[in-house]
Amino acid sequence: MYGLSRYKFFFLLPGLLTLLAIILFPLIFTIRVSFSGWDAASPGLNFIGGGNYGRIFSDARFWESLVRLGFIATACVLLEYVIAFALALLVWHQVRLRRLTRVLFLIPMMTTPVVMAVIWRTIFHESLGPANDLMQLLGIGNIAWLTSAGWATVVVILVDVWQWTPFMFLLLMAGLLSLPREPFLAAAIDGAGPIRTFFDVTFPAMAPISAGAVIIRLIEASKIMETIYVVTSGGPGTATETSSYYIFIRGLRDFQIGYAAALSITYLVIMIVLLTIIAKLLARYLVKSGA
Amino acid sequence: MTYAIRNLTVTDGNTIHLHGLDVELPASGVVTVIGRTLSGKTTFLKVLAGLQAVRSGSLVRDGVDLLKIPAWKRRVGMVYQQFVNYPHLNVRDNIVFPLKRAGCTSSEIEAKLTYVSDLLGLRPYLDRRPAELSGGQQQRVALARALVKDTDFLLLDEPLVNLDYKLREQLRDEFRRIFHDSRDRLVVYATTEPAEAMILQGHVIILHEGKVIQTGDYRDVFHYPANTIAAQVFNDPPMNLLEGEIARGRLILGPSFETPLPAHFSTLAPDRYTFGLRATDLALGGDFSAVAALAEVNGSLTVLHLDLEGRNLVLEEEGVHLFQPGDRIGFTPDSARFYAFDATTGALIAAPPRRSVSGQKD
Amino acid sequence: MPRPLRIIKTAAILAWSAFVIAPFLWALTTSFKTANGVTAGPTYLPYVDYEPSLAAWKGLFGSGAGSIDIVQPFAASMIVTLSASAISLILGTLAAYGLSRFVYKAGPISNNDLTFFFVSQRIMPPVVLAIPFFLMLGFFGLLDTILGLVIVYIALLLPIAVWVMVDFFNNIPRELDETAMIDGCTPIETFWRVILPNSLPGLVVAGIFCIVFGWNDFFFAFTLTFTETQLLPVAIVSLNSSVTPWWSLSASALVSVAPLIVVAFLVERYLEKGSLAGADK
Repeated sequence: MYGLSRYKFFFLLPGLLTLLAIILFPLIFTIRVSFSGWDAASPGLNFIGGGNYGRIFSDARFWESLVRLGFIATACVLLEYVIAFALALLVWHQVRLRRLTRVLFLIPMMTTPVVMAVIWRTIFHESLGPANDLMQLLGIGNIAWLTSAGWATVVVILVDVWQWTPFMFLLLMAGLLSLPREPFLAAAIDGAGPIRTFFDVTFPAMAPISAGAVIIRLIEASKIMETIYVVTSGGPGTATETSSYYIFIRGLRDFQIGYAAALSITYLVIMIVLLTIIAKLLARYLVKSGA
Repeated sequence: MTYAIRNLTVTDGNTIHLHGLDVELPASGVVTVIGRTLSGKTTFLKVLAGLQAVRSGSLVRDGVDLLKIPAWKRRVGMVYQQFVNYPHLNVRDNIVFPLKRAGCTSSEIEAKLTYVSDLLGLRPYLDRRPAELSGGQQQRVALARALVKDTDFLLLDEPLVNLDYKLREQLRDEFRRIFHDSRDRLVVYATTEPAEAMILQGHVIILHEGKVIQTGDYRDVFHYPANTIAAQVFNDPPMNLLEGEIARGRLILGPSFETPLPAHFSTLAPDRYTFGLRATDLALGGDFSAVAALAEVNGSLTVLHLDLEGRNLVLEEEGVHLFQPGDRIGFTPDSARFYAFDATTGALIAAPPRRSVSGQKD
Repeated sequence: MPRPLRIIKTAAILAWSAFVIAPFLWALTTSFKTANGVTAGPTYLPYVDYEPSLAAWKGLFGSGAGSIDIVQPFAASMIVTLSASAISLILGTLAAYGLSRFVYKAGPISNNDLTFFFVSQRIMPPVVLAIPFFLMLGFFGLLDTILGLVIVYIALLLPIAVWVMVDFFNNIPRELDETAMIDGCTPIETFWRVILPNSLPGLVVAGIFCIVFGWNDFFFAFTLTFTETQLLPVAIVSLNSSVTPWWSLSASALVSVAPLIVVAFLVERYLEKGSLAGADK
């Protein structure tokens, strides 16, 4: 089409340039800082070559935090996906029920995660909180929610599931509602029960949306930090310390800015590579891509 | 005054949609662009509208190359296959939209609105939204919007294809009325159906795989298809094409299929040719025989697909004639209606004497 | 549906609903407690298990000993969130329209790559950007200011707007744009007069996502502001020491999430009208 060029730039450039301006400099700066030995003792941009990166290699705590992050993020997303799908399947047929539950289930997602984390911390307080009260009621007895490594992880996952299942629920529900009716009718005519229908019709048809939802949720879950900061402080010990939290400790608490910068860049590269691989793997199921 | 299109080439990556078209269009009247799906009709229309970028070429009128003008500055109206209207506006606002963009005064707008909504019977619907209308009505709104402004081109891309049969017939007649009512603009109507070309009665351009096969007055194109492709595209059902030869003063189309040489072939040298015969020029009953493969009944017409010694033959006959696949059918070709095409290039060599168009199928 | 399945279904929905509401209920009763209601162990019902008091709630809006100023951070959060969301929505929608309708090519980079670039900004954990932003804002004297936060938030919210709107625009048939252009609209007029009016559902979804993600941010507000400007999440978390009584904590928390619950209702109404993923053609 003739005469479009100037319009093309009008639409894209303001947003693109703004984003680049705000993000690019910090990013380049971080890269530069990662090659410096900036810390509390010697602030400023010197140059120490790849010293920080070398240190990362032998930093077991960092690598452990990555593994932990992988575990926690995967657990969260899987649980959220399964629960959300189950709930969506239960309610999508009936309008009134659908609307009611949609509002109800929507609420956690809209709340401020940090603020809810404050409340959760009071809930899981081992002597004063209702969680252990409930456990005693159920005959299980007191659980060391925040002082045992395993349970602390459970708490973190539980809080994330509470917060973000609605997100999956919304996306999956919208997906279910947009499915064409015919395959379901055909399955019904063929006498398929609910389980067969699910595996043969619903699940395959929802594959693109499932893949998209999982990826988006994975990207967001990998950044989990606020909950950990408020509820467990990465503990007990380093039991719930994810990579973001570790970088936070090194950078903003220990003030080893140079090292933290190197950690950040390394983490970023790893995440981009991993997520791109996962996205490509799931891309077989993505019917519609962005543009 | 004409539009001269020279060397119009449109590509998309490695696919070529239009191959260096060279064609002239009149400045007013009706032009039917006919061709199969994917022959380049829509691309051609979009170039005229300014919606399609071209690799090379020019569209010149009075020394001005229109291709250099962006779509929103051209004077064009377009109607799509899939009734396109502005969903957020009611019918009245839909129709006057282009007039407002052009800055017409409100009295001008009222006048044109009245004219067009009367022309297309849209008066009762002016306050409705397009989504509330039937397919036929929506398409009329689209047409009204295209007609309401003064344009150089009125482009229609298979506008009736998504409507049901009855509606199609009805609108086809309205089209003829409306287009001959239109002032100095050129109507370019793209279709796959020769019947529509015949009803609209204008200039015809046959497109095939991005190239112009033939242009001319619709009667000329009908009677004298330039080659076998034109013969197939411009007939529905497509013209039967049979390899054969002229020898010993006879027309030989197969071991058991030969007739005396028709008069209009008398000047042809004995040789191999591709012969053409319309489906309507074959009659049921007679000495020749073939095996029925398929019978389609369309309304009160029967289209019979025959297997003649391994070759396909299509016969169209009035009335409803039911046959079973496998039945032996007798038929008679009207040998005065044979066409002869070059066996290698497909170019027209000899055509039957002209007869009035009304004698043919609609 | 057979009986046993119905029971399971109802049970499941009730169970999940209980799980969803539980923290709010807990915060609600706790906000009415005093020391007695907390230190002896968890208590639940007012008047039955403990003596309710309005101390926490009074403290929120009043001044004096034991009070928490919630109004100021609330207002600050509003200003920052709304401004950043508005700007992100505008710039993002424009960019999304461009990416949806036009072909961009700069060497090997094309539309899909550009869209990916926008969306991939979300991969960056806040911690990676926190320090550079800290230094950058410090350099421009924008630390602890509303303007500084708004700038940072735009970088966070713009990708969201782009992600939602590109998908949405892709679902609007191109023929609509073409018809507008034929009727005399330049691409900008096409966008403004024809496409935007038909994009309301998408804009609402994008807008809500922006507002929610903006309002709920903690990390950047935490790192980049101190005393002059305080956003709500930071205000609440700063209370989270062993010194602050649980009831004040609970009351503040509830106030901070209340507006979002209202938004949740509004969102649901909108979702029922159209699909989340795109518009009907």
